[in-house]
Amino acid sequence: MTEPLVTFERVEKRFDDFVAVKGATLDIGAGEFVAIMGPSGCGKTTTLRMLAGLDAPTSGTIRIAGQVMNDVPAHERDTPMVWQSLALFPFLNARENVEFGLKMRGVGVSERRQRAMTWLDRMEIAEFAERNVETLSGGQRQRVALARALVTEPKLLLLDEPLSALDAHLVIRMQSVLSRLQRELGITFVYVTHSQSEAFAMADRVVIMSQGEIAQVGTPREVYRAPRSRFVAEFVGRNNILPGEVVASHQGMVSVQTPLGTFNVQGDAAPGTSASIVVAADMMQVGGGENRLTATVISEEFVGSMVTAFLEASDGTELKVQVQERALADLGLETGREVSLGWNTADGHLLVDETP
Amino acid sequence: MRRLNAYALTFRLPIIIWQALFFIGPLIFVVAMSFFVVKNYRMVETFELTSWAKMISRDYVWSAYRYTLVMAGSAAAIASILAFPAAWFLAFRCSARARQVALLLLIVPFFTSYLVRTFSWYTILAEAGVLNGGFALFGLGPFKMLNTPFGTLVGYLTLVLPLVMILQTVTMANIDTRLVQAARNLGCTPARTIWSVILPAGKTGFVIAALFAFILSFGDFVAPFYLGGSNPPTMPILIIDTTKAGQQWPRAAVVAVMMMLTLFSIAFAAIVYSYRKRASR
Repeated sequence: MTEPLVTFERVEKRFDDFVAVKGATLDIGAGEFVAIMGPSGCGKTTTLRMLAGLDAPTSGTIRIAGQVMNDVPAHERDTPMVWQSLALFPFLNARENVEFGLKMRGVGVSERRQRAMTWLDRMEIAEFAERNVETLSGGQRQRVALARALVTEPKLLLLDEPLSALDAHLVIRMQSVLSRLQRELGITFVYVTHSQSEAFAMADRVVIMSQGEIAQVGTPREVYRAPRSRFVAEFVGRNNILPGEVVASHQGMVSVQTPLGTFNVQGDAAPGTSASIVVAADMMQVGGGENRLTATVISEEFVGSMVTAFLEASDGTELKVQVQERALADLGLETGREVSLGWNTADGHLLVDETP
Repeated sequence: MRRLNAYALTFRLPIIIWQALFFIGPLIFVVAMSFFVVKNYRMVETFELTSWAKMISRDYVWSAYRYTLVMAGSAAAIASILAFPAAWFLAFRCSARARQVALLLLIVPFFTSYLVRTFSWYTILAEAGVLNGGFALFGLGPFKMLNTPFGTLVGYLTLVLPLVMILQTVTMANIDTRLVQAARNLGCTPARTIWSVILPAGKTGFVIAALFAFILSFGDFVAPFYLGGSNPPTMPILIIDTTKAGQQWPRAAVVAVMMMLTLFSIAFAAIVYSYRKRASR
């Protein structure tokens, strides 16, 4: 990574007794698209608000471009935010909303009007410039909010679940708008979301938070294929988790004994360690693989060309298999039927349980 | 056409009857009375423009009208400005619980008769009163405060200030604080958010609060009479004086109708202004 634009150093935020963010340490590079994700109340929005100066950290240091930001008030930062509620000013029209940041910075009337129009045009909503924002559609309002945040040409854009209020088809559309904008502008996006698909679709790196702590930082692929904790493995979803105990370890390969059998996985852990094997649902094979077990089909979830089948093993462990819809019939994945599942050793991932 | 719903009508009827009996009825009567004439100290029911012609041609009526407009307008403006910092504090810097307590305390003044509260100003504003006693310590005064326009204003504010403060507090407490934060996020200083976000976002509430202050002051008789010494007279005092002088009820009715027309047009203008949305193309 190049010189980081944003650094968090053991940042902590308390609200009375509640610790919203615990000892967060994180670097965000210039021009990076970072998604912070996690369940509700994990501290992701607080982290973003601290970057904007809307909440002050209780301890630790936040730097932007090398400068310590802890005591810089919100209005002296250039960290515009796109809000979950959009927070457009209802008493201003679309153009005046976009002009707001420029007006606050003392930009003259004609220049700020022209710059606002340039952005509205870029967001393809110039024709609605004089419209009351309350009469615009969700997607148009979203674009006004983006134009309003970007018109001051910041180095860092903060986005707080900006797409959560949009219809599904608009979400996909706005994702590509955001990705393209970020590439074209080359500025840093910090994007808070609870949606894995949004984060994985757009972000260079994802930060997964749980109960105020950063659980894992990595590329979407790393987080998905190599979760570092059970929380991450469960949060990123569609993972099969088989808990057990390491019984043998030999040259980068360990055997883990689980209630469903003893399976091999790449990794390193001393015998006696409690550990789990994680197998992504799309790595599970029906009737194949080097590690085998049997399970009964419970139900299916159909999402377009892919189908996720939910199965139950003999001890009640829930398993998931993702297969092509057109292959479904050939595989015999009918509800109530017992099938053989398996995966190749290289596709499994060893997860050593954290010592309590 | 919707069918007449007996159920809905049952619940609406009382308010319709009430309004008809005690508002529209008297209103029609007052308008009608302004066309009556007085002969030999007796009111004659007729339709003549005598009283209107008399009152409209008199300078003292118009100077009383202008004075009442200016005084009620000043009371509305001063009350709005004086109430704002306190209401802002209650809305944005207090816990919801503290705000509830404060709003309750702001209602307490209404428990006491307005007349009693007005008379209590006597001891404070009199030549030998509390305020002048304080000024005397610094070798100042005594200032004449009773029986002056200042006294009238003090009386108006006694009437309207708690109400304006309550309305402004509720208005600001309902402003989405995320709008204020969004403004700060876009480079707006905390002081500037008042002008750039809070005033425009709460426009309707602020205008309604000022309108209430204006209406109550415009029609108030107690403050200009007891604290302003009827000098110069306001419109309500003109009504009293006119009825006392030779039983001129029709002329008093003319003044009353003038006042009502003024209040209707100002209230209408204020409400249209405060609810006006941006033109949408």
